[in-house]
Amino acid sequence: MKLYIYIIRRLLLLIPVIIGVTLITFYLSHININLLITEYEGKIHTYAQYLKIRKELHLDGPIYVQYFYYLGALFTGNWGFVSPGDIDPGTPVVVEFMKRFPPTAELALIATLIILALGIPLGVLSAVRKDRIPDHLTRLGAMAAVSMPTFWLGLLVLIMLAPTSPIPHWLTLYGNGQLNWSVYGLTSAGTPAPFYVTGGLSRPTGFLLIDTLYYGDIAAFLNALWYVFWPALVVALTTFGVIIRFMRSSMLENLGQDYIRTARSKGVPEQFVIKKHARRNALGSTTTVLGLIFASLLAGVVVTETVFNWPGMGRWLYEAAYNNDMVSVMATTFVFTLIIVAANLIVDVMYSYLDPRVRLE
Amino acid sequence: MTTQTVGTPLSRALKKRLESTKRSFYFLTRSPLATIGLAVVIAYVLIAIVGPEIIGGNPLMMKQYYLFQGHSIVFNPLPPFKYSQFPLGTTFGGYSIYEGIVKGARNDLILASAVVISGALIGVVLGSIAGYKGGVLGEAIMRVTDIFLSLPTIVIALAFLTVLGRYENVMIGALIIIWWPTYTRVVRGQVLTVREQKYVEASVAAGSSSLRTVIKHIIPNSIYPIFVQMSLDYGNVILTLAALFFLGFTFAGPGFAEWGNIISAASNSAYAGAALYNYPWTITIPGLVILLFVLSLNLFGDGLRDVLDPRMRR
Repeated sequence: MKLYIYIIRRLLLLIPVIIGVTLITFYLSHININLLITEYEGKIHTYAQYLKIRKELHLDGPIYVQYFYYLGALFTGNWGFVSPGDIDPGTPVVVEFMKRFPPTAELALIATLIILALGIPLGVLSAVRKDRIPDHLTRLGAMAAVSMPTFWLGLLVLIMLAPTSPIPHWLTLYGNGQLNWSVYGLTSAGTPAPFYVTGGLSRPTGFLLIDTLYYGDIAAFLNALWYVFWPALVVALTTFGVIIRFMRSSMLENLGQDYIRTARSKGVPEQFVIKKHARRNALGSTTTVLGLIFASLLAGVVVTETVFNWPGMGRWLYEAAYNNDMVSVMATTFVFTLIIVAANLIVDVMYSYLDPRVRLE
Repeated sequence: MTTQTVGTPLSRALKKRLESTKRSFYFLTRSPLATIGLAVVIAYVLIAIVGPEIIGGNPLMMKQYYLFQGHSIVFNPLPPFKYSQFPLGTTFGGYSIYEGIVKGARNDLILASAVVISGALIGVVLGSIAGYKGGVLGEAIMRVTDIFLSLPTIVIALAFLTVLGRYENVMIGALIIIWWPTYTRVVRGQVLTVREQKYVEASVAAGSSSLRTVIKHIIPNSIYPIFVQMSLDYGNVILTLAALFFLGFTFAGPGFAEWGNIISAASNSAYAGAALYNYPWTITIPGLVILLFVLSLNLFGDGLRDVLDPRMRR
């Protein structure tokens, strides 16, 4: 099978998944109509007004008609408005989404990079030194990291960072040099976090690291790197155990193959055998795991963003759920699901490119 | 050989199963880490059963103390290992951390068991239908499973808790919705391989009905990977529960004894920054309890997988 045919087939298989996901979000958003119209809070005084709004939103028709309107609004980008009680009520959800998506993508991407940078070498080390102390330590360490509650690890990092963040007294909530909850919302200079000090500058991409480079501000770039590193490390540590385990078993499998024995017997140095022969082959199958861990990575992102005050979609979801802002909750749920579906698609295509045998199935 | 000829068929089958379990247990105890994991898990289960009875009071809620030696301790948590009345100190709101941990063991274990066992049951039923019957029905089941597998865990739990209200049933239901698809997948894969075995063919040839074949031959022979999956998932459910309680999307108030809830008492109070800085034990101790339990479960599950996968045994 050609690669493009495989991609097309894979895309067609995606359609039922997307329909199913929209069915679930539709069910959730329409089961409680009162929550769905919270954006009209304070504007409904009589029953006639209530009926009028129901009619305007097509909530009085049969369920399949409602689903039809729901799909239409979903695909035309008419996702409703952020409810009162949120930071900026009345903003279209799509606008809010544009603001919230880049920080989350940034965090998830850096976390993925850390996962790869830590997980692959440790997996290789664990396989090469099988059943010896490095192997035991790596496996135990990875398992302990995976067994930690994400929010707890985040709080530990905050406890660790707290003494290094000199925050002036007047900024703290309770004086005495104590730190307040938004310790991470402030820079070390005591100014609010980099997201909020745009100082009238526009944000061309919304990505902190790219924007600071765009304005050529190296100090701000390094500051931003410091800000993104810690939450990303927390997310990475609580997810990377799977990669280590897969890399290890995949390496062990490859190290037992005949071609490794051939390479060794013809005198290839051991370093070379591991790096060029075994690891390169083991990397292929480890790619598939990336798709698998993406769901847990995003779950970690939601919690970590809340702990670290990171103004991304996870934090938005938390705020919206806290304020019963149904529209935003459903929007973030839908987008998170789409991200996972897309990540799985990309990983599958990547793997079929790396290993053409997959396409034959 | 003599053991196989005495007794009724049922007792023979039981004895055989018992022997294989014994052998698995022997292999499990050869791995020190898995043994430690099992021991710690058993200790937690014992604490969950006996602990709340010894402490007394409401087994679901922590008792709130306002005064200690004449001082208010609601906003001034007491340090651990200092006062015998509060062995692990207190947290914000005047709750004893020790009491919360012991009572929380029962609450957490009950909630997680409800989720994991229901998820596994749904998975076994749907997975064996999809694997054994196959066809349109099986394909449909697997497509639905795919949809649910692409739902992000904690996000969907938050969505359910927002829409349907913050109730215990909703929380458990949302977690079951998150966890059943994995089991369906595992069971289906297992059933597909077991289905091709000679003894299944023999039983079908001898006139056994589909239901009987599935219950008597297929499920018993494909059940072990489910146990492994359950032991590994159990920890993840505990972590997700703790995260939900930490975020404050719960069915119970601040006094509810749950490990994540104890941490949230410190970190969600108005004194959160102070908690991070001056009262770190209000956060670290409950977290260590979660970490130890989940780590032990993972070590045990990992050992179990090695034991039950005969290729790894050698």
